This record gives sequence, structure tokens and C-alpha cells, in this order.
Amino acid sequence: MATAASHADDHAHEMPHGWRRYMYSTNHKDIGMLYLWFALMAGIVGGLLSVAMRLELQEPGIQYFNGLAQILQGASPETAVDVGKHLYNVFITAHGLIMIFFMVMPALIGGFGNWFIPIMIGAPDMAFPRMNNISFWLLPVSFTLLILSMFVEGPPGANGVGGGWTIYPPLSTSGQPGPAMDFAILGLHLAGASSILGAINFITTILNMRAPGMTMHRMPLFAWAVLVTAFLLVLSLPVLAGAITMLLTDRNFGTTFFAPAGGGDPILFQHLFWFFGHPEVYILILPAFGIISHIVSTFSKKPVFGYLGMAYAMVAIGVVGFVVWAHHMYNSGLSLATQQFFVAATMVIAVPTGVKIFSWIATMWGGSIEFKAPMVWAVGFIFLFTVGGVTGVVLANAGVDRTLHGTYYVIAHFHYVLSLGAVFAIFAGWYYWFPKMTGYVIPNWIGVTHFWISFVGANILFFPQHFLGLAGMPRRYVDYPDSYAYWNKISSYGSYIFAFGVVFFLAGVVYAYRRKELAGNNPWGEGATTLEWTLTSPPPFHQFETLPRITGANH
Amino acid sequence: MMVEKGSPQQMSPRTARQRRNDRLVAGLVVGVVSAMLGLTFASAELYDLFCRATGYNGTTRVAGAAPKTVSDRTVKVRFDANVAPGLPWRFEAEHAEIELKLGETAEVYYTIRNVSGRDTAGIASYNVQPEIAGSFFNKIQCFCFTEQTLKAGESRQEPVVFFVDPAMLADVDAQRVRTITLSYTFNPVKAPVKPLAAVGTGVKLE
Amino acid sequence: MTRGLKTFGLAAASLLAMTGLALADYGIGEPGQIGLQAAASPIAAEIHWFHDLLVWLITAITVFVLALLVIVMVRFNSKSNPVPSKTTHNAAIEVAWTLIPVLILVIIAVPSFRLLKNQLTIPPADITIKAVGNQWFWGYEYAKDTGNIRFDSYMLTDADRKDPATQPRLLAVDNEVVLPINKTVRVQVTANDVLHSFVIPSLGVRMDAVPGRLNETWFKATREGIYYGQCSELCGKDHAFMPIAFRIVSDAKYAEWLAGAQKKFAAVSDDSRVAVNQSPAAKTAETK
Repeated sequence: MATAASHADDHAHEMPHGWRRYMYSTNHKDIGMLYLWFALMAGIVGGLLSVAMRLELQEPGIQYFNGLAQILQGASPETAVDVGKHLYNVFITAHGLIMIFFMVMPALIGGFGNWFIPIMIGAPDMAFPRMNNISFWLLPVSFTLLILSMFVEGPPGANGVGGGWTIYPPLSTSGQPGPAMDFAILGLHLAGASSILGAINFITTILNMRAPGMTMHRMPLFAWAVLVTAFLLVLSLPVLAGAITMLLTDRNFGTTFFAPAGGGDPILFQHLFWFFGHPEVYILILPAFGIISHIVSTFSKKPVFGYLGMAYAMVAIGVVGFVVWAHHMYNSGLSLATQQFFVAATMVIAVPTGVKIFSWIATMWGGSIEFKAPMVWAVGFIFLFTVGGVTGVVLANAGVDRTLHGTYYVIAHFHYVLSLGAVFAIFAGWYYWFPKMTGYVIPNWIGVTHFWISFVGANILFFPQHFLGLAGMPRRYVDYPDSYAYWNKISSYGSYIFAFGVVFFLAGVVYAYRRKELAGNNPWGEGATTLEWTLTSPPPFHQFETLPRITGANH
Repeated sequence: MMVEKGSPQQMSPRTARQRRNDRLVAGLVVGVVSAMLGLTFASAELYDLFCRATGYNGTTRVAGAAPKTVSDRTVKVRFDANVAPGLPWRFEAEHAEIELKLGETAEVYYTIRNVSGRDTAGIASYNVQPEIAGSFFNKIQCFCFTEQTLKAGESRQEPVVFFVDPAMLADVDAQRVRTITLSYTFNPVKAPVKPLAAVGTGVKLE
Repeated sequence: MTRGLKTFGLAAASLLAMTGLALADYGIGEPGQIGLQAAASPIAAEIHWFHDLLVWLITAITVFVLALLVIVMVRFNSKSNPVPSKTTHNAAIEVAWTLIPVLILVIIAVPSFRLLKNQLTIPPADITIKAVGNQWFWGYEYAKDTGNIRFDSYMLTDADRKDPATQPRLLAVDNEVVLPINKTVRVQVTANDVLHSFVIPSLGVRMDAVPGRLNETWFKATREGIYYGQCSELCGKDHAFMPIAFRIVSDAKYAEWLAGAQKKFAAVSDDSRVAVNQSPAAKTAETK
């Protein structure tokens, strides 16, 4: 068995078959595929959780979670409502963690990153193929731990972690003494380890394995995006790992890092968490920026406008992203000077982000744009990300955050940048690279129809949440005062439309696989200039056995 | 990309030298990861040091003696008392508020009383509000420096001796402060690993 | 500029009224509301003013980006423009789209910092109260020098709500906090078990309740009425069921309420976590 893996390097043309091909895979494309399918599966689980939440919130009162508590956690009819309230918190926690760690990150970094970073820089594979395998297989284990946590005791008398994805102590320590939180923490450790190993691999690959002539400044923007992301990962994830380890020892071994009773401070956890958490949101969006740049350039049949500005804007976002964390904590009792600093630093991020938005538009300007499915998604991304970005500027101001913090306004803001931002970019990337990855064509009308269903659904879902937040509806509420009923109902309808879009998407993928229409090496034409389009579709099991030589870049 | 076919010399797999370079880069990154991890574990200690050094987070200072200068400006100081769950104590300040000159030393008393039938020990955590006043609030003597043990039913008065540093007038933000609140929370000592689990979550305290 | 905005705002408001969407009310959300709850304190009013400014700015930015996208889609699609240009650089425009956003941010920063300073600089307070978050109710304490009472405030269950009109679901409580109009109230906030967050939108206050730490904020209510808020930091299963209700009344009514409350909560106080009615027998050291 081990021979299959260890000999793969030596016998380059030998491709193992069946489950071994994936289980022991050291091939970046196979591992990329695994990541994508894993992300798809996790996305469906996380999406179902959110639909359940929206179903509950469609009407005031508690209608569904008491029943769910009886079905999922075996609660008695007397305790069903109480367990149901906690179950709702379990759902919001799991939805957040799954979408971040098991959907967006695996799709963008593990999936598209693994698939296309080596190809785009003209490398035969990743620098450490076996480590790549470990990176992936840690994820299903981690995911299993997180799912298991939903079925063991959290707070007394109820199962699962209901502390929100931010797992602030003391709710995550003394507030939920059961083992559920320990499962979740170990799950996060493994997910973190997976990402750190992945980041080490990407950094080494991008720095050391570029083809001859592929200088840093000729490198495709997606490679730049993943490089910056990888640095953010290695700088921020250890902080999360350390913080949750301290949480674990506070819970189980009597330390008091975050317990005021022993001289600790719960606010310290918030500082540590957001020192990780804020770069994390750029980890989610930077690869999306890279993908959008390629798609916009390809379908405008123009090179990216202001390539260097685009690359260094991402570097700037990454750097400044490390000094803005306390804007998540404006109301925890920070001093005036501290809040002033974080307001200023946070607003600065709007500048490089603006550079990216305007550069994409400038790339399209003067182009000859074909509105194929990936481009439709990309244009949708640019607009919706702008909407999410400007509400970020509102929230950056501590004075206004005083009234909006912890409300649905924040939910609307980060879903515009992540759900309508990162997720739209994932779909854009999927329609862009699906022909390359599988060799098959997804009919254009499927991608475009999926876009319109999602665009309409997501806007109906998330735009009214701005109104709810302005009106004061707090987040993480299983039930709300009756005056918030109107927009909650509309928002829930939007979520069903968005969910239908996902079903449509899955049907489209199955359809494309069954139809088996071949895509050819480059289905997108003259605008597609990066190296993957010089290969066959799908690319050979081992590409670039003779390394390409890069003589110039057209930007 | 402008591409031409490479020469056969550049065949993969990678040379031993390239592999060494890969390991070097990976090693450096592992170093960064370890450093960040180490910093995180040190953060509790560093945060504490930082708060003590700067008064950040409303952390008060410890002084050996009263200052030499006394300003004419006065400031009001309020006293707040809390008892954390799991400690059967009553805890209250003698005064709601006093007014004193900057640089003037004051002595106030807090009363602690054990209302249970067993000996219990507690230790106080504290902060001042507004946060900015922390670095100008100096304690000379305080019951919060040490653990307090009360016998069953015992009641005791504990002093706090403090002054507010006149240097506060020179600070651009702190000079606007007219009222400072000193807050204490008595926490049970030898807290069980899961204090709330022992008490039971959701139980209305006492 | 401001007047122009106001006129436009009025026009927009009447447009909304026509579509049947309700405008904001004080202290509570209104069905279909699309804006902030009405402001009943100077800070809340300043938040409104600044937020309105931001809304105009971000709407303008979003419409500008949308307009550019529409122009690009119309003028530069493959039918209207079959031959793409090769332009990839334009130093002037790149400098412009870096500097203009910086300018806009500076314009935002001035009122932003002013508001922040006003929020965090607490003026001399007339009344100091303390709000203590618990799983899952709020405890309130009026300081010794302003009433000397303490009581707990629980949400009214559906069975307890006699009059749905004045006791809104999930917001009405058994013991409201009553405070006088036009007085500066310092609210000190802490928690007993886990994090909570104290919020009253119409009064423009929000402050996290952290165990082992005292935080403070302030407001000055300029209108009588009832102002609701809800716990805003996830604190466990009944996070959504520990509302905050502050009733702002005239000085006379406040005095009346206070006298009643001192009697009503005397028993509670005596049995409470801290025995405030038991003054220490020995009063030793005076303040220097």
C-alpha cells in the first residue's frame, strides 16, 4: 500500500486507481479535487443549517427548533423549547465554523489553490506533495470532531457548542462545561494545523518552484493572492491555536488565562481571537480577489489593469489587516485613544480595496467583454462586494458601531463580503475552471441562470438584514420582538431562493458530467493567457515534465 | 504569459539543491509559526505587564508613598463592589463617592462579611473607570493585594489607601476626567475547575 | 448641504410613507422599519446625524461603482466593441483613485472622532446606576447617593403579559428601570457569570458586561417614554430573553417612583448579593 504513494514520485507516469488514487494522493490536482468536493459537501451541511435558522426566523416565536431538539437531541416535550433555544445557538456556531473553515477556505485555498497555483507558476506539483495529502486528510477528521461536538453535552442538559464561532469565554469555559466545547476546540486545532501545513506548502512552492523566467512580478495575481493569504495564515492561525489551547487548559486543567477569578481577563481572549479573526476574513477574500482578476481579464480580452497596484494592494490589505483587530471590540470597554487608533487603521483598508474595485472596472474599460457565466458571476461579485465594503466603512466608525455592533447590520455586512463576495467568487472560479479541471463544458445558460437565482435570492436574503440591524435587532436571536417580523419574513424567502440556486447548481454539475461535451484546451479564447490554458483539459496527471520558459508578461 | 518550451535540462523531479532550498523556506516558515505560537502563550503575561506598565484596561498602579505635590484641582472617586458567583460574601464600600484633591492621600474602607456557615477565602480583582485614569490611580495599601479568609459569619473592614496622581492634568485625554470609579470583584479562591458547573448554570444566585 | 440633505430626506421619507413602510419609533422597532430607532438623547441624535451622512456617502459610492459597471457593460461588450484596447496603465487615474478615497475618509474621520469623543467623555453625572448581566436577567443597582436600591428585572412571559399593547412580547419586563428626564445618567455595566451586553438603541448606548470588570457609559434622555433594549452578547440559551427596559419620567414622577421602590425592594435588597442596607457599625477613617 505504502508503495503506491512512495513510488509515485519515482514512476511519474504511474497513476494509482480507485480509492487509493485519492486516499494516498500526492498529486496537487487530485488533492485539489478532494478539497473542492469536501468544500461542496461542507457547504451543503452549512447551508442546510442556515436554512433551518431562516425557517425558524421566518415568523416570531419558536416553531421548529423545539421539534428539532426532540428529533436531534432526544429532548422530552417539556424541555424541548429550552433545548431548542440552545440548539439554535449550536446551529449558528456550526454554520459559522463550517462555512469558514470547511467551505470557503478549502474551496479557495485548498481547492483552486492546489489545482492552479503549481500550474500557473509553471511547476510540476506542490513543493511537499505528501504534506499536501496530510493537509487535506486532517480536514475530514476535524470536520467529524466538529459534527460530533453537536451530539455530546455542552451546557448542562443540552448537547453541542452554543458559543458562537467566536467562542468567547466565560461562555465557552464555565458556561459550557460539557465535552462538546473540547471536541470543537480539538476540531479547530486540526483545521488550523491543516491550513498551516497548506500555507507552508504554498509559500515554498510559490517562492521556490516558479518556472524559469516566472519572476515575482510576472506571476499571475491568483498566485500573489494565495502567497499573501499563506503568510496571513502562518502569522494568524498560531494565535488562534494558542488561544484555544489556553481555553482548553482553562476548561480542563485549572489555569486562569481568561478567568477573572484567577487574575485572568476574558478580554484577552477577544484580543487574541480577533488578532487571528480579522486576518482570517482577508484569508477568505484575498484568493477570491485573485480569481476575479483572472476572470475579468480573460473575458474583457485585456490584461489586468495596474498589475503592480493590484498585487501590492493585496499585500497592503494583508499588512494593515493585522492592526485593525480591535474594531470587533469597540464596546468591550476600550479607551478613547485605542478606539481612535482602530477607527483610523480600519478605514485605511478601504483605500487598497478601492484600488482593486476600480482596477477591475478599468480592466473592463476598453475591453471587448463576453458575458459568459464566470464573467457574470465576477461582475456580480464586484458590485456586491462594493455594497459589503461600504457598510464596512460605516461599521469602522466606533461612534456608529455603538448602535450597530452585534446587530443584523453586521450580519448583512459580512454576508455581503463573504456570502455574496467569497462565495460568488467560488462559483465564478468554478464555472471558469470547471472545463479545465474536468474537461467537460457546463452549458453557459446553467451558470447564468444559477447566477440570477443566487443574485436575487442573496439580495432578498441579506439586504433587509441591514434594516433589521438599524432597527436594533440583535444577532444570534432564536426569537425576536414582533416588530422585526416583516423583514425577517422577506429575508427567509430570500434564503429559500438562494438554496434553490444551490440545488440548481448541483443539477447543472451532474448534467455537465453526464453530457460529456468536451471543452478543449482553451474554451475562453484569446483573453485566457495564464499557463493552465496551454495544457490539455483536464491537464495530464503530471504537467510540465519539461518546464516552460516564461519570456514576458503582457501586463 | 509569453511562453516557450523549456530545455530538457529542466526536467523534474527537482535536484537535491532545490530540495534543500525548499526545506530551508519551509523551516523558516515553521520558525514563524512557532514564534507566533510562543508569543500567544506569552501574551497572558505580556498583557498583564503591559496593563500594569501603562494603566491600560483601567489597571491601577502601586505606589510606595504619597506624592509630594498636591494640586488644587479635585476629582471625585466612586467605589464599587461586586462578589463573583460561588463566594457567599457580602461586600460593600463605606462611601458611594468622595471628593479629593489630586495628589491627596485618602483612606477608605470596604466591608466584607461571610454569610455562610463555613470558612471561605476570596481574592479581589479590580479596575478603574474611565480606563484612561488607570495609570494615574495609585494604591499605597489595598486588601486586593492579598487573599482574604473569613471565618463563618465573620465580618471585617478592609482599608484602601490611595491617591490620584496630579500628572493626570498633563495628559490630554485624562485631564477631562472628573469622576473615577474604583471597582472590586471578590472571587472565590481555589475556584473549582468549572465554577459555574458546580453552582449550576442558570441558577439564580443566592 | 445639511438643509439639502434634510429636504431630500423628507422627500425620501414621504416616499417611504406612501409605500406603507413605517418610520422609526422611539425605544422600540416598528414593523417594516428601515432606519435607526428614533433618537432620544443628544448622543443618539449625533449618531443619527453621522449615520445619515455616511449613508449618503456610501450610497453615492455604490451608485458610482454601479454606474461605471453599467457603462462598461454597455459600451465595452463584445458586440459594441469588438476590438479590445491594450491599455494597462494610467498613472493619473491610479493616483486619483488612491487619493480621492483618502480624502473621503478624512471627511468621514472628523465627525467620527468628534462623536467618539462625546461618547467616551462622560460629563458630570446626576445619577449613577449599575446594570449587572446574569444568565438570564438584568440586575440593577442605584448607588447609595442616588436612591440606594437594587432589584432584578426579568422578561415577562406570555402568561404574565396582561396588556400586549403596553407590554410588547420579549421586551416588557417585571421591574423597569425608572429615571428622570434631562439628567445625565452614568450607567456602569458588569456581569456575574458570562459576557452580556447592555444596549438601548434610542438612547445611543451599548456597553459590554464583562465579569470581573466594571465598564461605564452614559446618556441623557431628552424625552419621556419607555426605551427598550436587548442583550447583545451571546450568553447562552436565553440570550434572546433578557430585555432591558428604561422608563424616562418627569422629576416629580421619578421621586414618587423612587420612594415606592425603596419600600418595594427593601426586602429584596436585604436578601441580595450585597447587603446594602446594613451600614457598617464602625465608621472609622474619614477621607483624610
